[in-house]
Amino acid sequence: MTDEEYDAAADAALFARLRSVWDERDPVPADLVDRMVAAVAVEDLSREYALLTLVESAELAAVRGESDTLTLQFSDGRTSILVHVSETDAGGRRVDGWVDAVALAVRLAQGEREWSADPGESGRFAFDDVPPGMSRIRLVIRDGGDVREFMTPQFEV
Amino acid sequence: MGVMTDTERSEPLDVTPEDSGVPGDGAEPTRWQRAADLFGRWRAGDTRAMDELVRLMSPVLWHVVRAYGLDRALAEDVVQTTWLTLVRRHESIVEPQAVSGWLTTCARREAWRVGKLQRRADPTEAEHLEPHLPAHESAEDSAVVEDESHRLWTAVSTLDDRCQRLLRVVAFEERPDYARLAQDMSMPIGSIGPTRQRCLAKLRALIEGGSHKTSGGMG
Repeated sequence: MTDEEYDAAADAALFARLRSVWDERDPVPADLVDRMVAAVAVEDLSREYALLTLVESAELAAVRGESDTLTLQFSDGRTSILVHVSETDAGGRRVDGWVDAVALAVRLAQGEREWSADPGESGRFAFDDVPPGMSRIRLVIRDGGDVREFMTPQFEV
Repeated sequence: MGVMTDTERSEPLDVTPEDSGVPGDGAEPTRWQRAADLFGRWRAGDTRAMDELVRLMSPVLWHVVRAYGLDRALAEDVVQTTWLTLVRRHESIVEPQAVSGWLTTCARREAWRVGKLQRRADPTEAEHLEPHLPAHESAEDSAVVEDESHRLWTAVSTLDDRCQRLLRVVAFEERPDYARLAQDMSMPIGSIGPTRQRCLAKLRALIEGGSHKTSGGMG
């Protein structure tokens, strides 16, 4: 081994120790990788999503003559999402959703336009103000150790 | 070496395969080769290959971004932005083989940009506060195994910001592109190698200095 090779090996050994000390003192957050997989999955339009089917639809006439609200339930038999649509003061739509799993990423698409929502721990998500129109929701959930993707059929908001 | 353009392949330079924590005997592909392979499969229509690429590279991106002193939440945002940029702009990547270098470069630039905004917004200079965690003294720290890591951590924390950043980026990037690194760190390209060596020398001196003190203290 030449001196240069020796130095390079010593540097490599020190860098390996540095990696382990940084891994130990400033570890990668436990769920970071899953969240990144989910963020990329909802962004990647070429992906195939399991299609949820509409289970139930209930249009509730407004009490006191206010705007109508719409509640829809989609499911694949195992995972369900509930979507509640209401009208905003400005004439837009507010979409509240609940999924019975840990949602990692949620998007609402209308044609080329898309909005993303920050899913909470409880499976709740909300789009505060989207224009009326045909929409579909794509979401990525954590199912045990797996990450799974779903898409609803189009529905009118 | 002349200044490289973005379209040129990044050179391995003096970083050996052992440096990356990947066996160098050729039995297993290096990380950048695996990344290139997964990216190629994704582009060919295998959507799941992207998941594997994300799993492979996210921890590396995390450490590279944290080297810029961003807090943990911002660092996660930068890692996410990097991935979304890849998905949106993958067609413009001229050298798919170099996708791991593309990712780390993108992450470094975004970290730098976001870090500048954070520093401007925070006059106490978060960059100086954040990475210098106080050296924590505890009973466990006196154990031999802990002591080794503790001493190294203390030494690292004592280095100046530029050294900490450079060493962390070089430690986690398998084949750092020195031309881009120089540009991103506002340093002349020829000075990255010597600076890296100076930082390593300082670190070694600190470790040895610390070890004398520790052994004296323990009697």
